[in-house]
Amino acid sequence: MRIKFTWDKGVVLLLIVSTIVGSFITPYFATSSNISFVIQDVGEIMIIALPMTYLIIAGEIDLSVASIVGLTSASIGFAYVRGVPFGLSILIGLVVGTLCGLINGILVTKFGLQSLAVTIGTLALFRGLCYVLLGNEPVDFLTAPITHIGYDNIPNTFLPYSTILLVILGAAAWITLHYTRFGRWTFSLGINPGAAEFSGIPVQRMKLLLFTLTGLMSGVAGVVYSFRFASASPSGASGYELAVIAAVLFGGVAIAGGVGTMWGVLAAVMVLGVIRSVLQLSNVSSNALLIVSGSLLLISVVLPRAIEVSRSRRKTSTP
Amino acid sequence: MSKFLSKFFAIREIPVAIALVIVLGVTAFANPAIVSRSGALDIFLGVSVVAFLAVGQTLVIAMKHVDLSVGSTIGFSAWLIGKSTADGHSLIYTMMMVLFLGLVVGALNGYLVAYLELPSLVVTLATMYIVRGVFSQISSGRTIIASEVPKPISFIGLNSFYVVPYMFIVVVVLVFAVGNIMHRLRPARDLYAIGSNLPAANLAGIPVAKRVFSAFLANGLLASFGGIILLSRFNAADTNSGTGLELNVIAACVVGGVAIAGGVGTVYGALIGAVLLQSITMALGALGVGQFWQLAVNGLLLILAISLDRYLTLRVKPSTIMRVKN
Amino acid sequence: MVSTLLSVENAAKNFGGVKALVKADLTLYTHEIHALLGENGAGKSTLLKTLAGVHVLDAGAITLNGKPFEQGSTRLAREQGIAVIYQEPNLFPDLTLAENVFAGRQPVKNGSVDWKSMQDQSRALFTQLGVSLNPLSRARGLSIADQQIVEIAKAISTNANVIVMDEPTAALSSKEVARLFAVARNLKENGCAVVFVSHRLDEVFALCDRITIMRDGSTVSTSLTSAIDEPQVIRSMVGRDVSELFPKLEAEIGEVVLDVQDLSRDGQFGDISFSVRAGEIVALAGLVGSGRSEVARAIFGVDRYDSGTITINGQRLHAGSPSAAMDAGIALVPEDRRQQGLFMPTSIAKNAAITMLSTLRKGFILRSSAERKIAEEWTKILQTKYASIDDPVERLSGGNQQKVVLAKWLATNPRLLIVDEPTRGIDVGTKSEVHKLLSQKAQEGLAVLMISSELPEVLGMADRVLVMREGHIVRELSRHEATSENVIAAATGAVTI
Repeated sequence: MRIKFTWDKGVVLLLIVSTIVGSFITPYFATSSNISFVIQDVGEIMIIALPMTYLIIAGEIDLSVASIVGLTSASIGFAYVRGVPFGLSILIGLVVGTLCGLINGILVTKFGLQSLAVTIGTLALFRGLCYVLLGNEPVDFLTAPITHIGYDNIPNTFLPYSTILLVILGAAAWITLHYTRFGRWTFSLGINPGAAEFSGIPVQRMKLLLFTLTGLMSGVAGVVYSFRFASASPSGASGYELAVIAAVLFGGVAIAGGVGTMWGVLAAVMVLGVIRSVLQLSNVSSNALLIVSGSLLLISVVLPRAIEVSRSRRKTSTP
Repeated sequence: MSKFLSKFFAIREIPVAIALVIVLGVTAFANPAIVSRSGALDIFLGVSVVAFLAVGQTLVIAMKHVDLSVGSTIGFSAWLIGKSTADGHSLIYTMMMVLFLGLVVGALNGYLVAYLELPSLVVTLATMYIVRGVFSQISSGRTIIASEVPKPISFIGLNSFYVVPYMFIVVVVLVFAVGNIMHRLRPARDLYAIGSNLPAANLAGIPVAKRVFSAFLANGLLASFGGIILLSRFNAADTNSGTGLELNVIAACVVGGVAIAGGVGTVYGALIGAVLLQSITMALGALGVGQFWQLAVNGLLLILAISLDRYLTLRVKPSTIMRVKN
Repeated sequence: MVSTLLSVENAAKNFGGVKALVKADLTLYTHEIHALLGENGAGKSTLLKTLAGVHVLDAGAITLNGKPFEQGSTRLAREQGIAVIYQEPNLFPDLTLAENVFAGRQPVKNGSVDWKSMQDQSRALFTQLGVSLNPLSRARGLSIADQQIVEIAKAISTNANVIVMDEPTAALSSKEVARLFAVARNLKENGCAVVFVSHRLDEVFALCDRITIMRDGSTVSTSLTSAIDEPQVIRSMVGRDVSELFPKLEAEIGEVVLDVQDLSRDGQFGDISFSVRAGEIVALAGLVGSGRSEVARAIFGVDRYDSGTITINGQRLHAGSPSAAMDAGIALVPEDRRQQGLFMPTSIAKNAAITMLSTLRKGFILRSSAERKIAEEWTKILQTKYASIDDPVERLSGGNQQKVVLAKWLATNPRLLIVDEPTRGIDVGTKSEVHKLLSQKAQEGLAVLMISSELPEVLGMADRVLVMREGHIVRELSRHEATSENVIAAATGAVTI
């Protein structure tokens, strides 16, 4: 029985391998407290990677996600410090995140702007608003005790509370992408938007929805972030977009759209988390993390291309 | 007359130039103190780094690519210049290092984008972080201070020809030099063809990979030599030097008429765009808008520039409209 | 003095087991216009691509101007004097026409680009070709006909002496076709060999001096146009007698399904009013650019319109929503298979099922087995040939691809089927099958609105012919009234017969 070797299976394999290798390199890696840490560490990245997968498959991209996380967190802080009850502050944060996504969506669908260029602009705009809200000073939420679920484990387990959220969201995203009409439509958008429209798929509405969902999920990640650090700072989550995009592409989603699997992305997020953890435990500086993330991103596009090139050399061209 | 007018406004750089005049006019009106030597110096100094980088970025964007690694490269280069000088090396040696850095980064980007045909967004996003990481690793927090800046470099920043700093003159010379080359040199014209219609460029026999590689290589070199300007501007350099410049550079280009869709735009426009953005920043300051708004405003301006560009492109009617009167 | 310009002998080419060329021959003389005919899959495309420098032959020899032709490089092919004008020309929209003509080869003076010379030369070329194009205008927005002229100008400026035109008239109005013919004759006079590839036999017989016919990878006949007639050509192409090209069945005409009143869109069409009944095949005829596809797209909801009403089965249909149109029972088989009709890299199954996803799912969940099942059902009805239902649809021939598009839409069980150029780019055999299918469906009660630029198809299939010109319906003809003459007359605005 021959199993066809695909990219996403490779990533899962890599996850297993890196986990095993990691636990040999550093003894602390395989401890329950470290696993808990890794899950927390990748939490926000994984949450954002879910809608980002849909976006990239649909042929779009959103570089402003990290800024939305920051702005959500900043909004929560801004409201809380002015006496708004914590629960309501969180709701405000989620609304802010969703609105940011909506703005991106409107710019792309109604204004017809390219998502790459426009989200570079909103990246700055949303991040800039963080500074407008908070100035240079972070805000802490230590007086809101519920934030403990941001960094505590579920009682009697080594799993953090956030695991529940991750499992639910991850499963929902996976099923929707591969087993629903919405998922099929998402792929269609990326493969051929013209044919999608002519097949009755509401292209503009889908894209608007995808960007808004990305904003909402970034908002959720922002809430998780605020809980985890029990604080909000204007530069919070800076640079996360790199990790998210790296994970999505490394997970087998083609940058051109139309191709990809959810579990490839989920595995890729975990691989990145494992590698980060191993490096940190080995006392490698954070600079190395930058280099590693950048390199992984490169590999995630170079390798498929190299395979493609060697395959087409063996195959003969099409008539 | 109206035909002349429509042709005049069709030149992409004109609307930007007009916007610049308007912004300067409004600022001068709101805050007459700005119209002074220090006001002018502020603009010229403030714009130099971005304008310098915008020259090389124009080459890249014209081909419908993007290079996000320039911020990391220019920062690294500025630091290298300072460190090399502080270690007692000659200016020649220092410049060789700058050259080497530019070649390596430019060649890496160029090879991956041109020969492996990888998307430039992803590639340069990755190299941006890799270069920054290598830079941080090598610098280990060592800051370059004013006394370590080579004399010729600090000279162009501290001295000016009447109201124009020498630094800015260097930038203008570069703009005209590159602008001239872009207009006259055959291989340079290919960049626009590549950005306008890649498959057609291939069919026309244009050596696309070679051109794309060269453009990224040139941009890498320019970004690296831009370290001179960056070091001169701030008389210091540390691991954060150059962070975030990519956004401003791309904004300057797009505002200046270098369409993100490729195929059009000149370095002259990019220069005007850079000056316009700098003027707006200064105008906001003069109007009393806090510094915390700057980043947000920059983002908003980029969005506006892209929207305007798209609006202008849409005004051309596609050929599906009635082919009548045959 | 006429001499042999190009000669292809015993060309053979395999693509991993698929024999695209078996024994292809082609001889081109100077001063001639030479037609290359053959069904889809006959090998024309492979042969032309070899001449264009895309492919290298496995066997056989190509001689150009007395020397062996260097294969495998588009640049070399151009340098050796072969230029190919494709159906959809590929210009640089942001560059000027002059820059387009001289892209990559601009004239230089003292090392820098000589802009004036480039403009002057372009202007001279356009004048020589008899067109008034401004070399300084940008290529964006140019009509396809004008784009072709620019491509031809480019070819002449590279001193090409073999000019291949691949289905050039598909998107052209008859006036533009006449202009193109004049240009081709001009090229012929100057000593070029013009290769004219087309499915339109009337044009072939009007323009070409000699005809080469290919079938199944080999050349089956080469003759003077004057020495052969249309039935012989068809027989050579198809290998069998195609007597009944348009098997129209009698259908009972029922209730009004589609009713369009005063539909207008500024700049595209105006005051469009007509109706289509169940069982009827109504043809929308007219020149390219008369607004027919725009009307179809407006009815289906892909495009908007400014005023007017569209009623389906008595219910008012609102503008701008293809899904609403689909719910009302409208299906549209679009003009462009590749860009609008199919997802090329995706499987046949997923393509055929894409319109039916709402009905195939259980709750929210959708399984690929359901998609496969419906795809198999419908492709079987349409006698579509493929290896596996999971194969990407781009592997299929043009005719079979069109069948997948039809399958996808017929599966929705529509009340009204709009087909836009249903047999464009399809071989004769499949054409006939498609016509038979449409006729059968009409007999079953389907209302069919057919847009077609092929007169024989219009005359053979339609119960009524509506002729559009410059955005308006100018004439309605019943099946008995319609003739080639009065349809063309109405379409072009000549005095009506």
